[in-house]
Amino acid sequence: MVLTGVPRKLPKIEIDYTKCRTPFTCKKCLQICPYMVFSVRCEKEERLKETDPRIPDTYKLYSNRPDKCTVCNKCLEVCPEGALTIILS
Amino acid sequence: MCLYCDAYGDPEYGNGLWYLNPKNYSRQMYKLRRLGEGFKGVETGPESGAGLPPYGILQAMEEGPEAVDKAVKEMADGYKAAGMLGQVLPLKDAELVMELSSPIGLIACLCRRNYRAIEETNEHEYTCMGMGVGMLKWERWPERYKGGVHFVNPDEAKEWLRRMDKKGFVHCLMPFGAPYIGGFCQCDYPDCALIRMQMDFGFGLLKSHYLAEVDYNLCNGCGVCVQRCKFGALKFEVTTDKANIDPLKCFGCGLCETGCPMGAIRLLDRMSNPILKEVW
Repeated sequence: MVLTGVPRKLPKIEIDYTKCRTPFTCKKCLQICPYMVFSVRCEKEERLKETDPRIPDTYKLYSNRPDKCTVCNKCLEVCPEGALTIILS
Repeated sequence: MCLYCDAYGDPEYGNGLWYLNPKNYSRQMYKLRRLGEGFKGVETGPESGAGLPPYGILQAMEEGPEAVDKAVKEMADGYKAAGMLGQVLPLKDAELVMELSSPIGLIACLCRRNYRAIEETNEHEYTCMGMGVGMLKWERWPERYKGGVHFVNPDEAKEWLRRMDKKGFVHCLMPFGAPYIGGFCQCDYPDCALIRMQMDFGFGLLKSHYLAEVDYNLCNGCGVCVQRCKFGALKFEVTTDKANIDPLKCFGCGLCETGCPMGAIRLLDRMSNPILKEVW
């Protein structure tokens, strides 16, 4: 379990937000990750108006649980924009 | 003793089981509950509220085990104080709950939306259930609660639960500010935020009042139960060609029982076991 053991450097997953702009409609990395490392969040909420995920930058991709990343690199392969980088230190 | 039964059970209803106490589904409880600062976002903006990453714990992992323990304890205390711990229920108890709560609405799962970008837009796709007066709010706010609400009667709700059970989802009763019960998540690992928290960090869910047990005489070694277990409590032993359950890990969700084609698994009352009745 994660709770025991020595301190460890977590893999760092960098997302280039100038390339990744409509993650909710693309959703390739979100669905391929076996350990569900990513999450997507709505950044622009307006009262009485539904946010359209097709508009760039309304939803933002996050690497939610880098501790679960197994560095299988599947997300890098499926990303159509090449927006992801995984750094192991 | 179960944390919630201790505090919110009523001996007059359902043998003191807190989720069979009708009071905990009432409108008054919805008004009285206090969610605490950390959980306000869950309701005001669920599309961004659900599934927040445990930043404190992630940071602590780079510092060492003591820091992780401290961060986990802090977060667990927060969940406990806010009354946001879920409880696993087997199908038979889940069906009893359907008769106590009103209204019942099928909704889109927010965890799956936030983690997998899955859009559930109609009653055939919905994989989550909301209960009580809070549902009327969901109906009024379509821009927040995407996909809307599909209200069902208790019989339809039971039928839906059986369908979810067949698929292999764990039924997790969700209080939103305990004792008020406001939702019934149908969970999987790793999709569900609560199971994930429980399996990775050891808090988030209470076990059910039951324990699964295998009858070795009936078990034919098909292994169906092993893939239905979300908690890692079931393993298949090649030597004896039987399934084994680790009762310390068993959450009593009953998925192995409902999935077993031989009827070889049954649920025991957790309270009948002198040691495991203290393990929640």
